[in-house]
Amino acid sequence: MAWEEIVQRYNRRIYNICYRFAGSADDAQDLTQEVFIKMYRTLSSYDVERGAFMTWLTTMTRNLLVDHFRKTKQDRVTDSMDAAPSEHEDAMPLSEQIEDKRLPPDARVQSRETGEVVHEALQKLSPELREAVILRDLQDMDYRDIAAVLKVPEGTVKSRINRGRAELARLLQRIYRQVM
Amino acid sequence: MPGETHNGMQCNEFETLLFDALDQKLAEGQRERFRAHARVCGKCGPMFAEVEAGQHWLKSLAEVESPANLVNEILAATTGIQSYRLQAPAAAEHRASLGERIREWADSLFAPVWGTVRQPRFAMSFGMAFFSLSVALSVAGVKPSDIKSADLSRSGLRRTYYTTTARVVKYYENIRLVYEIESKVQEIKKVTRPDERKQEKERERNHKNNTSGDPEPRQERNYSRDENQPVLASGPQNPLAVSVTTTRRDV
Repeated sequence: MAWEEIVQRYNRRIYNICYRFAGSADDAQDLTQEVFIKMYRTLSSYDVERGAFMTWLTTMTRNLLVDHFRKTKQDRVTDSMDAAPSEHEDAMPLSEQIEDKRLPPDARVQSRETGEVVHEALQKLSPELREAVILRDLQDMDYRDIAAVLKVPEGTVKSRINRGRAELARLLQRIYRQVM
Repeated sequence: MPGETHNGMQCNEFETLLFDALDQKLAEGQRERFRAHARVCGKCGPMFAEVEAGQHWLKSLAEVESPANLVNEILAATTGIQSYRLQAPAAAEHRASLGERIREWADSLFAPVWGTVRQPRFAMSFGMAFFSLSVALSVAGVKPSDIKSADLSRSGLRRTYYTTTARVVKYYENIRLVYEIESKVQEIKKVTRPDERKQEKERERNHKNNTSGDPEPRQERNYSRDENQPVLASGPQNPLAVSVTTTRRDV
């Protein structure tokens, strides 16, 4: 397969992972470029017998996203459903953190697309939960492949996906409860 | 309460089956027990609802389109070659808009210049040049407020040129007149004092004849007075003798 064909085929998928994880379109574009530059350099090291190409590519993307996250040092707002709320969370509920205070609640809901609200809420999840739900619910990856990408046991993958979904639902419920 | 049992299922077992339940992968009997537990358990029921709602929200997120130039940028960054497949329709679009083409042409023309201008070194040099120019103008007495738009017109520039030329010519003529007057005065002096002229000639002749190599005797002429002027301050002919008497004191 020619290099240009690989780029044509996978750029959208990699861009979506980057966009949902990083949150901004500009960052996603830069990160997607970085993924392909890295892939271009290491393409010769890919071994077909060691796993599917998509898993290899997703692993590379995920590692780069984690590096990017560490560099930018984003604050970890939520950890898990079971984690005790921190002082920061006590002082300011998560639903308040992601709401836009410039507009009244009803106008806010009308002006913003539901997708934007969900996307913004997704950014509030911890990276571990976020990457798990992105790969499962947005990229439709099998949990075994996700376990291979994240290098964690399958049970941990299932648990993270469940916690990520539940945390997101709680965040969105709080938002919509406030505006209704 | 992980150890609590409802309808033959413990809460920790419920959590384990939660993922598969949402994926519709539970067997018939297992599914029934799972639903029954969710209905009666105060912890697991809401948790199941939350996870299901979260999945629903995530599935509602549509896939976003990647930027149109992304593939080209990737190919340019990796192979240095741009995709002509994508460039062709893009080029056709650009052909329709003349303004964009002109803007692109201007950007390509001024981008290197602008890049240089934005460097701190250039900004510093420009600042210093501007400062020097403003100091020079203020020293010369030129004020920017004096410059009017009329001065920059064609007739204004011509008028400025002729005025400046006339000023320079006038200055030259004045200097020339001053030198002419000075030379005339010197000539008159020579005519009215012939003795001094002769003395000067003799002195020059002596200087030329003196081939001994000895240094020229110092001219000890007091220019501050004439020959017949009385000497106001001079030493005595005989030095004054001072006698000092000392007495020895025994202590």
